[in-house]
Amino acid sequence: MNGRKSVDQAAAELSAETQASVYHSTKVTHEKRTKLLFDQYKNPDQLRQWAGEVKQHVIDNLDSYLPAVEARMQQNGIKVHWAATASAACHTVLDILVARRAYRVVKTKTMVSEEIRLGRFLQHHGIESVETDLGEFIVQIDKDHPSHIVRPIIHKNRREIAQSFEREGLGAYNDDPKTITMRAREHLRHKYMEADVAITGANFVSAESGRIVLVTNEGNSRFCLAATRCHIALIGIEKIVPRDQDLPLFLNLLGRSATAQELTVYTEFIKGPRHEDQLDGSDEVHVIFVDNGRTDVLESDCTEILRCIRCGACLNVCPVYRQASGHAYRSVYPGPLGAVLSPLMMGKRLFFEKADLPKASSLCGACHEVCPVNIPIPDLLLRLRNRAHVRGVAMEGSPPMGAWSVLASQPLAWRTALSASRVLNRLPTDLLPIPALQAWEQSRALPEWRGGAFRKWLAERRRPS
Amino acid sequence: MATCLCDAFYDDVAAATLQVLEFVGLDVEFPEGQTCCGQPAFNGGDWSASRRVVRHTLRTFAGDLPVIVPSGSCTAMLAHGAPLEFEKERDLSAVQELGQRTWELADFLVHGRGITKWPGRYDATIAFHRSCHSRGSRSAEAATTLLASIPGVTVKEFGEGEQCCGFGGTFSVTFPHISTAMGDLKLEHIRAVQPDVLVSADMSCLMHLGGRATKEGKPIKTQHFAQILRDAMLANGGTA
Amino acid sequence: MSLWSELLEFGEPPRPDYTISDRDQILTRVSKALEKLPNRALMPLYDSKVVIQHSVLAGRDPVEVLGERMQRVNTKLFPNPAAIVTYLESQGWLRGYCAPALWRTFKAHFGPNFKVELHFESRRLDDYQFSITLAGGAIAETGTIILTDEISSSRLSSLAPWAHFAVILREDILLDVPAGIRALGLDRSTIWVTGPSKTADVEGILIEGVHGPGVQGAVVIEQRVK
Ligand code: SF4
Repeated sequence: MNGRKSVDQAAAELSAETQASVYHSTKVTHEKRTKLLFDQYKNPDQLRQWAGEVKQHVIDNLDSYLPAVEARMQQNGIKVHWAATASAACHTVLDILVARRAYRVVKTKTMVSEEIRLGRFLQHHGIESVETDLGEFIVQIDKDHPSHIVRPIIHKNRREIAQSFEREGLGAYNDDPKTITMRAREHLRHKYMEADVAITGANFVSAESGRIVLVTNEGNSRFCLAATRCHIALIGIEKIVPRDQDLPLFLNLLGRSATAQELTVYTEFIKGPRHEDQLDGSDEVHVIFVDNGRTDVLESDCTEILRCIRCGACLNVCPVYRQASGHAYRSVYPGPLGAVLSPLMMGKRLFFEKADLPKASSLCGACHEVCPVNIPIPDLLLRLRNRAHVRGVAMEGSPPMGAWSVLASQPLAWRTALSASRVLNRLPTDLLPIPALQAWEQSRALPEWRGGAFRKWLAERRRPS
Repeated sequence: MATCLCDAFYDDVAAATLQVLEFVGLDVEFPEGQTCCGQPAFNGGDWSASRRVVRHTLRTFAGDLPVIVPSGSCTAMLAHGAPLEFEKERDLSAVQELGQRTWELADFLVHGRGITKWPGRYDATIAFHRSCHSRGSRSAEAATTLLASIPGVTVKEFGEGEQCCGFGGTFSVTFPHISTAMGDLKLEHIRAVQPDVLVSADMSCLMHLGGRATKEGKPIKTQHFAQILRDAMLANGGTA
Repeated sequence: MSLWSELLEFGEPPRPDYTISDRDQILTRVSKALEKLPNRALMPLYDSKVVIQHSVLAGRDPVEVLGERMQRVNTKLFPNPAAIVTYLESQGWLRGYCAPALWRTFKAHFGPNFKVELHFESRRLDDYQFSITLAGGAIAETGTIILTDEISSSRLSSLAPWAHFAVILREDILLDVPAGIRALGLDRSTIWVTGPSKTADVEGILIEGVHGPGVQGAVVIEQRVK
């Protein structure tokens, strides 16, 4: 493991309290989601399949969709930029800010900005960048990292949050969630009004109209876009849907899958800079299309993961995530989604850094079952395990299988081994390093060895009497 | 196909499967050369090793007879996993063909043979664990339908039935903490409904759950789906 | 956290200096990757109406559906403008903003104790306890209020005050989400509001009124008083 913590170790070290709260809130969200979908639709799986096909179609045709969407946005008065890498994306943002002499930024939650570490970059360049999503705001003041893509502070409890607020001078200690929220409301609304520029992500972009769709429950993105004169949207190149009329399907599935809502509270459709009659909002809209590893994914045999609409449903249902929480994945994207996407986004050269993540799954398939864009996550995990094997990335969790496979393809040797009790199915014990068997026996008893007994029984039964 | 797990530990499950199939009037062949479906290496990422084993299985089960497996997991390996790792191989179609005639036992009885009622008697409250490999297939429904139809049987649903037990092959030894925690959660839900016996169509889950329960000093009786059918049938005076 | 923070240890990233632009670089890589595909996924033939919850709408009065769906998301639907004013009074919210287009509709109901402004001054956004603005429409199926730039000249007025009331003309009520999308038209910025501003970030506990209104209200009228 190159001295780094495995997902299992991280899970073992997670406090029981944190684990319990992660487990509880993911379970509740998952169950509400299921109820909502199945109460309202006869065949929700059909919706997931269509949504998956639409996104796959876009991904397979990005070469035509990307220029098309760019042209449309330019027609709408949006300035379009491109960034191949994280640092290119950061510098593009900085260039826009500097050109406007804008030194105060308000931000909504965007996973792309986490990816490119924009917050720290801006801080480094003396620009105040305030996270306005409540969860992200707390992550920011704690210099922490989000542990869930929809619920960034799923790993924190109210007492920790109250302490952070006290430390930041946001009032005396008070851990009532309502008080915490109202204090954030007070604090942040003045930040919006002082800010020069708003930075957001995008949930969807329509190729047909060039419309950017943004959803939030808190309303922070609306505040950002109403109070500032310049809007910068960081958009992953895979965020496109073909037509406006595809949006109902995706909005429907996103709200339901992410937070079990028919629609997220605020759904914004941004077509371009404000009209002169509108008092509030952006005169300038910039879109930065970000690659940052996405074309690496496109070159792989796991392009399906680019369909992802970041709903978090696979995290919520995942039994491994529920035990390990998000930081265990050492990546911006945790859970089943992250176990696929994070190693791929490292690119070929650094793939090995996260090649252990695809192993952090019992391959139970629950993620595939809930994914609103029908991503066959277990298949992708398996492909990545194979990739790691072929690349010769050595790691725990991949016992050598060569000798075992020879045995399992030679019936005679197999039968001998069976009765000589040397082979053990899923745990080819004699071929595994000893600690593996110890790991099994540490927490579970082994059944009695009965190698070859069935064959003996069968032979005796079939002997003509 | 008896599966390597039955070959090594659970001979009675293989025997019960055979008896059940004979009971419904089938001639059963047991190709002596069989070993394993290839899943351990497939899941471990060593697909070339796994393909070697799958090719061996292809040869052993050549022909056009349906292949019945008392395991959802091995069935899924042949029906779904093997075609995935053979995607770029020239014998893909042979692999797909084998996958198409491979059946999980309960699925075969109910959907292949149209049997929806099982005779005999088995007096017990059963908790049925849906193994993950039956996701998206009709196996779990088939198994619970048949079990519930046996006079004397009560099938009890338990909490979070769709969640994984934590076995996951090598996952169970390389992620021992998470695997065990998942097993404990599952056992907690199962114990809450106080079953007489925990039943599944996959011995691997039962090995994990049963083994964990024993280690905790609170052993739980586990039986394969086929064993219940067989025992019910025997109670009815059927012959084995 | 060790590796995580290690990976994030931020050094000044080199300013990218490519001889080809990032745009060309990305598009070239995209095309190269896609060239290898034996075939590309086709757009599925599906009708966007599949997401409509027909059972909710079937043969019912849109206003009735709207009310029921609003209740589900905790938007208060008032029977008439007067009821809104009565509610404001009962809460002690007397300082607010009313969109000029609606002044004649509401004027008669405000008593002398109210201080209502017809111009929203963003500098003083904390001075407004409530606001009343004209909606671009509504979506019955989801209990959604549609606010458009076309209709409302101040985005902040419907967002910043603690209580916001949207006035919806009956003829502007759309039945379902696909109809809402079709109605986007040329508007530069449209926002759909389905309930009060909310969060569950702190321990999963639902709190309303994070950045936007803690009280979201609406009223359906036949026509404005001109
Ligand atoms: S992979 Fe699927 S379930 Fe997971 S976050 Fe993405 S869209 Fe949601």
